[in-house]
Amino acid sequence: MQQTVTLPQINFTEVFSTKNGAIYQSDSEGCWYVDFAGKLARFDYRNLLKLKKAVYQIDIEDLLLNSEKSADLEIIFICACDHCYVLSLLQIIKLKDLLQGTFAMLELNHIIFDRLHRIIS
Amino acid sequence: MKDIIRVKCLLSSDVETLLNQQIKKEAHSSAIYLSMASWCNRNGYDFSADYFFKQAEEERQHQLKFYKYVLDMGGTAISPEITNIKIEYNSFREVFEEALDQEISVTQSIKNIAARCHKEQDYVTLEFLNWFFREQREEEYKARRALELFEVIGEEGTGRWQIDKHVGQIVYNSEA
Repeated sequence: MQQTVTLPQINFTEVFSTKNGAIYQSDSEGCWYVDFAGKLARFDYRNLLKLKKAVYQIDIEDLLLNSEKSADLEIIFICACDHCYVLSLLQIIKLKDLLQGTFAMLELNHIIFDRLHRIIS
Repeated sequence: MKDIIRVKCLLSSDVETLLNQQIKKEAHSSAIYLSMASWCNRNGYDFSADYFFKQAEEERQHQLKFYKYVLDMGGTAISPEITNIKIEYNSFREVFEEALDQEISVTQSIKNIAARCHKEQDYVTLEFLNWFFREQREEEYKARRALELFEVIGEEGTGRWQIDKHVGQIVYNSEA
């Protein structure tokens, strides 16, 4: 007997993308998929905020200016999250760019929701 | 696209950060009062020591109120690290001067949060903060009255002994 497995349909909505990556939202799962540095990683609400915090905390200017001979690699490890990124300085700048755009879009989405759906006219 | 962030948390990240700073401030305040209680006790000012023990407990309650509020709103409450607490004071009077300064700075910092809430139209947090404004009115009143005892009674002779005795009797029962 042939068994058919139906996969739950996951609909992605692109939140923001740049040349270097993209972030999608899945409404049904209530999470985000970050397509960056060659992998697609799933982040829930808490972890996405932790990722943002971790990336924003990196002092890019300091990394650019310091002349130590160490490699300009940063490991972004997020507590209680399956993913971790090992990124070069350029990648960090790109990821930060991506996240900034994403959070601006999410904020915009929030404003649109408020104005269109939540406020009774 | 769903507004997931709003569903998970009622606080904006800015307000959440400010509230977490306030949690730290209240904890710091509580630790300072505890240190003042220790100094007063060591120097024989028993009533003042009791007064500061009570204040320390109150600040701790304020801290927990903020803490639970952040959690109730779906935010992340951060348990603060408290360092640099002064152990010695130069005089009995200095203790009360610093206590008043401490309360003023707490009031200012809560006002700062309220200003941010106004800007974001976060009326939920504003309503929550109202309780604190009322509380700060009492706290500043008590701290100011305590310091005024130094003027009214004077520190000469048995003055400090008298001041110490009266500190515990300061009450705020304004109907306003």
